[in-house]
Order: sequence, then C-alpha cells, then structure tokens
Amino acid sequence: MAHCERAAKPLLQCLQKSYTKGLPGLQVQATRAFQTTAIAREEAQTETKSQPFHKSPDPALVSSPRLERRLLRQGISPIGSRRRRAALETSPNIPFEQLPYQCFQEARNILQADREEKLKDIVTIREKIARLEAVPTEQAGGLQVKNSKLVAMNLHLDHLKVLADVNDPLVKKKFEDGQGDMSKPIYRYLADKKWREYRRKILVQRITQMKVIPDVLPHCDPVVDTKLYFGRTATQPGEFVNSRVSATTPKLDVQLFERGEKLVTIAVVDSDIPNVEKDGFDYRTHYLAVNVPISATSTKVDLSKLSSESQVVLPWMAPTAQKGSPYHRLSVFIMEQKDAKPLNVADIKAKETDRSKTLRTLQARYHLKAIGAHLFRTQWDETMEEVMRENGYSDVDMELRRKRVEPLPYKRRNPSTFR
Amino acid sequence: MRLSPVLASLANVFKIPLSKSTITPTTGTRSFSTTNALLKRKGNAPRGDRRVTLIRYFLWHPLTPRPLRFSRTRFLRHWTIHRAWQLFQAQQRRAHQLELQRQWQAMQGACEELRVGAGDGGKLFRKSMNKKGIFRDLFPIEYGRMQTEAPSREGWNHEWKRMEKK
Repeated sequence: MAHCERAAKPLLQCLQKSYTKGLPGLQVQATRAFQTTAIAREEAQTETKSQPFHKSPDPALVSSPRLERRLLRQGISPIGSRRRRAALETSPNIPFEQLPYQCFQEARNILQADREEKLKDIVTIREKIARLEAVPTEQAGGLQVKNSKLVAMNLHLDHLKVLADVNDPLVKKKFEDGQGDMSKPIYRYLADKKWREYRRKILVQRITQMKVIPDVLPHCDPVVDTKLYFGRTATQPGEFVNSRVSATTPKLDVQLFERGEKLVTIAVVDSDIPNVEKDGFDYRTHYLAVNVPISATSTKVDLSKLSSESQVVLPWMAPTAQKGSPYHRLSVFIMEQKDAKPLNVADIKAKETDRSKTLRTLQARYHLKAIGAHLFRTQWDETMEEVMRENGYSDVDMELRRKRVEPLPYKRRNPSTFR
Repeated sequence: MRLSPVLASLANVFKIPLSKSTITPTTGTRSFSTTNALLKRKGNAPRGDRRVTLIRYFLWHPLTPRPLRFSRTRFLRHWTIHRAWQLFQAQQRRAHQLELQRQWQAMQGACEELRVGAGDGGKLFRKSMNKKGIFRDLFPIEYGRMQTEAPSREGWNHEWKRMEKK
C-alpha cells in the first residue's frame, strides 16, 4: 500500500489544487486519474474500451436488467446488489485512504506520523533487547534481573506493535469483515478485546453461577476463546443439549490470542452422576485427549479426528441423565501442558483407565493449567432412553425419586412469650 | 335506618353497630368487580407511566431529527478523524507535562546549586526558602468581597487602602 500512496501523492496535490480552483470538470478528471489500486478492474475497463459496455458487461458494474440477464445466461452472476452496482457505475471509485476530504487527510497525516514514530520505537527497543541478550549474565546483574528486564522489554515491544497499527482504519475494517490475519499481533489484540467484551463475560458467569468452578476445578481464568459445535450448530455455554445430538463427538474451536503454539489437554467432565448409596454425586470423564496442538491460526479441533494412538486417552462417551435426576453439567476444559512439553501417552493410557477420577487429580498429576472452559447441560428427554440403550448403560428403566421428607410433628406454639 | 354515606363511614370508624343493610352496597354487580370505581369511570383509566408517555411523544414527534446514521466508509472516516484528534490531544498533554517537569527540575537544580554551591553554608538558600511575610493561606481573590450579580457601577474603588496592621 505504501508505494501506491507515494505514487498518488502528487496526484492528490493536483486534486487539492483543482479543489481550490473550483473547476468541477478538472476535479472529475483528477479523480478519474486516481484508479491505481483496482488493477483488475482497470484491465476490465481497458477491455470494455475496446468493446462497448453492452457487448461485454462488467459483473461488478452492470445495473440494467437486460444486461444482467445476458450475464446470467453466460453463467456469470452480477456482484452485489443492483443498487450498489448502479452507484458504483457513476462513482469515481477512489481507494479509501485517498478520499479527498481535507479533515480526513489531515487526520491520516497525524496517524501516519505517529505510526512512523512507533516503528522507530520498535526498532530501538529491538536493538536494546539484542544488546541486553549479548551482555553476559554476570555483568547484567544476575539471571533473575536479566530475565525480568528481558520480559518487561518484550512486553513493551508487543504493546508497541499493537499501538503502531491500532489507529489504522483499514485494519479496523478488515477486522470487522472477519478477514483479520490472526498471525499478526494487532488482529489478535482486537479479537481478544472483542471476546472479553461480551462472550468471555457470559462464559465466566455461566461457569461460576452453575458452580462448575469450585466443583470441577478450584479456579479457572479463561484466556482462550472456546466454541463447541455438535454437528454444525454452535452451543452456547450452559445450553441444554438434546441427548441424540450430544451422542456424536463434538468439535471445538479454540482461539488462542497469543503468539506461538501450545500443547493442551482437553477433558470433558460430568460432575453430576447421582450415587444413591452415598446420597451424593460422582464424577465421570466423558472424554480425555492430551498433546493437542493449538495456535492462533490453527483453531479447529475435531475431537473425533484426533489420533487414537497418540492423543485420545478416553474416547467420547455419550452424556446421559437418568430419569428423575437433576440436570447434568458437562464441562469442557482446555488445559495447558507445562512448558508446551508433550506428555507420554502410553503411560497415561495405562494409568487413566478409570473414568470416575476427578479432574483435580489429573491436573495435579500432570501439572496442567486451565486456560479455557465451556459448559453444556443434559437432562432426561425423549431420546435419552434409546441413547442409553445404544451405549450400554445399565439401569435405563430406573427412575430416581426424591425421598419424601416426613413433616415434623405438630407442636403447639405456646411459649411463655406468647402469653 | 338509612344514613348518609358520610355518617355510615363515621359509624364504621367508631364501631357503632348499624343494621346490615346500610353498610353493604345495594347493587350486586359492584361487589364482584375488583376495579376501583373511580378508575373505571371513563377518562380516568390508567395510562401507564407519565414519563414513558412523554419520552414516546417526543421521540416519535415529526420535528425530532432522525438518528445520525453513517455509511460504512463515512463512519470509518469519522472514526479516523476521532482517533487522530484523541491522539493529537494526548500528544499535546504529554508535551505540556514534560515542559512542566522540565521547569520544575530546572528550579530544583537552581535551588540545589544555591544550597551547595554558593559557599555560605546554605544561608542564602534558607533565606530564599523562608515564607515569612508571604500571603500563604490562598483563596480566590474574588471571594474576598461580597459576591454581586453584576460589576459595580464605577468599576474600581480608588479610595481603597490596605488595612493597617497593628
């Protein structure tokens, strides 16, 4: 974009001059001369210059129904609405950053100057980091001092990288269109901000109000955006899922907002299995997979497609709820493995055959840290019986009933104070 | 025994026993309705919250201008200008802060020089730091007189003299 701006600068000045002269014809010519970015369109225009428009209409500009029909017969569908195409036909089609509005251009100059400054700062801090890394540890004042300095400088560097681009309207536009490149820090920053504004709040509210947080894990601060899909429909955190739907293995979309790759453990835990003998509830791990790589750009995790030798420890088990039992909370936890080191799958497979183990045990045993969570619920519904039979559960016909609490015997309320 | 309604209610208040026919309403339909009779009358029906009515009235009044709507690029241009203005103001604030800091540090450096480098054991410095004779409990000078709606007719009191200290 930079070289085209440089090329367009004299044109812009010419345009501003034409503004001051107040010659509308000249202005139109100047703006026409501007079309430097839309190279493809210009090529199309040169073609149309050789041929009249009605012979070979441009699908981005055609607006009359007759020409549209001709295009459709050729198998080309016109782009956008007819209204938009008609507007584009008459517009000079200037690229956004060269729009001839004085205040806008002044604003852009200020933002550009600021960006240059930020880029200079980035270069200097990079040099600083390189210099500090070159200094031997003893001279830098010890390992701890050196490391803390390096971490602080790297944080500042990341901050500067975001600041350099955060005022760019085109970056904002791209992000709003969902075309942001997640390998760049600015788009990660914007996505994180957007997530924290609403979706994370909802998630945290659900997992705390439904007491997943003290029940399954003592603490969780979600830093990755997790979406859960059964088939193609996304599940909201805490939604009731039909048992037939949840019998299929779900897919996850785990959006990391940091640089680099992480190895995570994914666990799905049901914390509400009723236990009649002890008059309480048990845990059951419905899914467990380790060594799942995620990064900011590769977010999709299909739980059914993970390799059964090297990743899946406990395959998916359909969540169920017996008739009469309260709803079951099935919580999905994304847990980061320490130092992004892979765990030994054979050992874990040999050890973790018991599905009734709690997640706290696993977390403590393998030094995991919860970085993302999701939650859905299941309860008795029409298809539950079938699903339970298919998956070989016992006690399908059993219905749980609450024990009737005998009322206390009537006691005449006549203490001394009433008299 | 038929009494006027006022007397009947008074009798009710003072628990004077009356014959039953006077207290119970004569019409049978009224006792079934829970609506207040005053409210039920035409024109007195509840109209909801008055504030909501007013808000609705002014919001949908034809003279109320339509909400400000921008097209995509227009909004982006607006946003660009807004960000640039914020940035510019922040730069100005920072420059001002830095200037103040510079001035303060220059002042402090001068004082330090006076204290250490003057060679009189810091006597000049102590003298200069002495706040005696300086009006110290400051308050805005316009509060030192009676507040008036408008300036006085002559504008300046030429006869004013500073009070003699005893």
